[in-house]
Amino acid sequence: MVLRSIASRLAVWVLAGTLLVVVAGGLLLFRVVRQQILEQTHRESAVLAGDVSHRIQHRLDKVADTAQMLAALIGPRPDDAEPLIRDALTHNADLDGLAAAYVPASIDAGAPDRSPFVSRHFDGSLSVRDLLKDPAPYWTQAWFATGLACATGCWQQPFFSQSRQRRLVNYSAAIEAGGRPVGVLNADVTLEWLQGVLQALNKPRDTEAFVIDEQGVYLAVEGSALAGQRAQDELIAALRGDPAEPIRHTGLLATHANAPVWIYHAPIDGTHWQFGLVVPEERIYAGVRRTFSVALSVGALALLSLTLLTLVVTRRVLSPLGVLTERAEQVAKGALDFELPRVRRRDEVGRLTHAFDRMRHELADHLAELGRVAREQQRLASELEIAQQIQTALLPGAHFLDARCNNFELHAVLKPARTVGGDLYSYFMLHDQRFYIMVGDVSDKGIPAALFMARAITLAKALAPRAQSPQQLLQLLNQELCRNNDGCMFVSLLCGLLDTATGHFSMASAGHEPPVLWGEGAPQLLEIETGPALGLDDEATYSSRRVRLRPGETLLMYTDGITEATDAELRMYGPERMLDCLGRYAAHGDGDPAGYLLADVEAFAAGHGQADDITVLALRWHHAGADGGASMLELTMPASIEAVFDALARCEEQLAAAGVAQGVRGDVRLVLEELMVNMAEHGRPRTGAARIELRMTLATDAVLVDLHHDGVPFNPLLSPEPLLTGDVADREIDGGLGIHLVRAMASDFSYAHDEEGNHLQLRFILPT
Amino acid sequence: MSFSLHTDGLSPQRATLRLHGRLDAMTFGDFDGGAAPVLEQMGQGGTVVLDLAALDYISSAGLRSIAKIRKLMRAREGHTLLVNPQPQVRKVFEIVKAVPVSDVFSSVEELDVYLDRIQRKVLSGEDEDT
Repeated sequence: MVLRSIASRLAVWVLAGTLLVVVAGGLLLFRVVRQQILEQTHRESAVLAGDVSHRIQHRLDKVADTAQMLAALIGPRPDDAEPLIRDALTHNADLDGLAAAYVPASIDAGAPDRSPFVSRHFDGSLSVRDLLKDPAPYWTQAWFATGLACATGCWQQPFFSQSRQRRLVNYSAAIEAGGRPVGVLNADVTLEWLQGVLQALNKPRDTEAFVIDEQGVYLAVEGSALAGQRAQDELIAALRGDPAEPIRHTGLLATHANAPVWIYHAPIDGTHWQFGLVVPEERIYAGVRRTFSVALSVGALALLSLTLLTLVVTRRVLSPLGVLTERAEQVAKGALDFELPRVRRRDEVGRLTHAFDRMRHELADHLAELGRVAREQQRLASELEIAQQIQTALLPGAHFLDARCNNFELHAVLKPARTVGGDLYSYFMLHDQRFYIMVGDVSDKGIPAALFMARAITLAKALAPRAQSPQQLLQLLNQELCRNNDGCMFVSLLCGLLDTATGHFSMASAGHEPPVLWGEGAPQLLEIETGPALGLDDEATYSSRRVRLRPGETLLMYTDGITEATDAELRMYGPERMLDCLGRYAAHGDGDPAGYLLADVEAFAAGHGQADDITVLALRWHHAGADGGASMLELTMPASIEAVFDALARCEEQLAAAGVAQGVRGDVRLVLEELMVNMAEHGRPRTGAARIELRMTLATDAVLVDLHHDGVPFNPLLSPEPLLTGDVADREIDGGLGIHLVRAMASDFSYAHDEEGNHLQLRFILPT
Repeated sequence: MSFSLHTDGLSPQRATLRLHGRLDAMTFGDFDGGAAPVLEQMGQGGTVVLDLAALDYISSAGLRSIAKIRKLMRAREGHTLLVNPQPQVRKVFEIVKAVPVSDVFSSVEELDVYLDRIQRKVLSGEDEDT
């Protein structure tokens, strides 16, 4: 948490870096200084050791001098030996004992008959004894032989005196008489004395001193009971080396049993002894250690101060950054109204603060702008959504089942590429059981297309009752849509009219895709002669095609959103795939063919997405209507008067059998007679004989008649109204009355003509 | 036979034709043929009465035949009167306004009354002449 702030991290890193430098430098310096101190100590201690050895030598020299003097004095006067020795011992406190021992065989050569030995007791009193009377003969002992040989005097090996119970070392000088040694003057000093000499020396504190003889036996060791003991071999070997070389040794000092020490040694002249000065290594370094610990403490303190200073300064410098960070976090949460730190300097932080302030204002403006745009977009989106609802409301339901007589079923699906689209479909029943179906596609997409689509679909519904046929509806619709169509929008439309009683389906196309028809066979495109799309040419005319739907047949209308759907590789779905898909549907059976086709197209175009509006409308003719939709009569006859009248007679019979009222029967007969006689008399084609097809159906409320004639086109609806004067006798020309009667008698009447001839549909409403 | 014609009280002044069955494109020839001798002997100012009580049906072909009779009689300054048309026939007549309402009578009695009135008128006219 603490280390998250830059100031703390900076302080820590400064501290760590400085600490590293100081410690490394300190260690290096410590080593160098330590080496120097060591060398200096070596120099000083060597000098000191030499000095001390001289002082010891001086004391020993006094003993040696005394002994030599006595030996010289006694030589000529052996009888005065005892008083001389006694006096010398009395006046020289350094000595512990003096002896003048003569060679027993030398008495003849002027030696006295006794060998006096004066020794000092613990209480200071002196005692004299004659060595000759000792039970052990001294002349056989080593010290005596050595002393006798030592004309100029020499120090002997230390020994333990049984009589005096102390350790001693003696200096022997030969007593000469007549130019040859006759005895030995022996001066004893105690090792305690030698130790006392060492202790009396003025030498640095914490150092110790020792004297060791050439055999490696300690003669005196300051502050230790080692005297008389033999030193360690390695030490002995080292001591035999160059006195200028200091020796590093471990485990010599009593007080520092295992601490390393430095030993500076110097020979004591006049003896074979060596003096050693023992300096503990710790003492050498103690000073430098102390200095360095002080320096380290000061350094640490300085570092700590530096760290604190860095921390404070960095914090102070970076404190606006902290505030800016908090503000930035607020900005991230969306708050823009806050106070910024005061700018003290125009440094980076100052510039950052300024920039932050600018950014905040611009961000606020930008957000406000964005909010406006978003609100605008939301408004547009909601309007678009409402537009979509309205557009959806313009379309009839996706499924229509002819509830009246179950003759047909209709499935429709419309899927706009955007929220609203330009595709349309519509279907509606006219009052006379004729059912209009249309599928259309407005040029362009989006809102303009949607508006045009709304116009087209509304007009189509309004105009349909006026139009007697699909082509007429297209013509009327085209004229309306051409009006004030400055945007040159247009709509392709396929319009069909189904006779719900018979399954006759006439259709007309205004630049639209051909529909697909299938029953028991494979689906195939139903080619239609198409006129121009609606809205372009107000004088356009349209032709129609008529098919008779057989039970189980399905007619599918669609827009180019199906055939022009593309997949990820930009391949078009195309009519072949569509026919294949519908073939699969036809093979496997039931359900909604429009939905089935749409699902296939969507799967095909999954990689590319929907580019255009898609509409599919499928009409399935069941012809299941047993109640009321039953066909009463179907006849095909040659167009001759006799055949016509036979047919009329059969119609009459059927209608009578079905219990149709007399009046209606008369109307039907009259109308059919007029029409068919007309066909027989006037409608003969140029080649071959004409045929008339008649199909009569009884619905619940009407008699429906389909009449087809393959003769010359003749539309009874277009023949002029006859002039009715009120008296047939006034009429100059015959004719026209029959058609007038037909129009007056039939409740409903439609006419279509195609390559197969004239098609008339008639309807006679039954009285309730 | 779907159509038949009977003639009653044949005289140059007055003849009654009774129509039976259907008068249509098939039978109008029979009617024309049957009516021709009657019309031939009709005198100037005569009256032809078409009794339609038994006529079930008429089509435009039949209308044309009746129109021909009316034209002929008009040329002879005579009258063609229709009696007792059945609903279907009456409807057709009404649709095409075939005959003035004054020339159609719903019963023989009504016709007789009308004819008597005409007779008296003629007689008194003769009186005036004499």
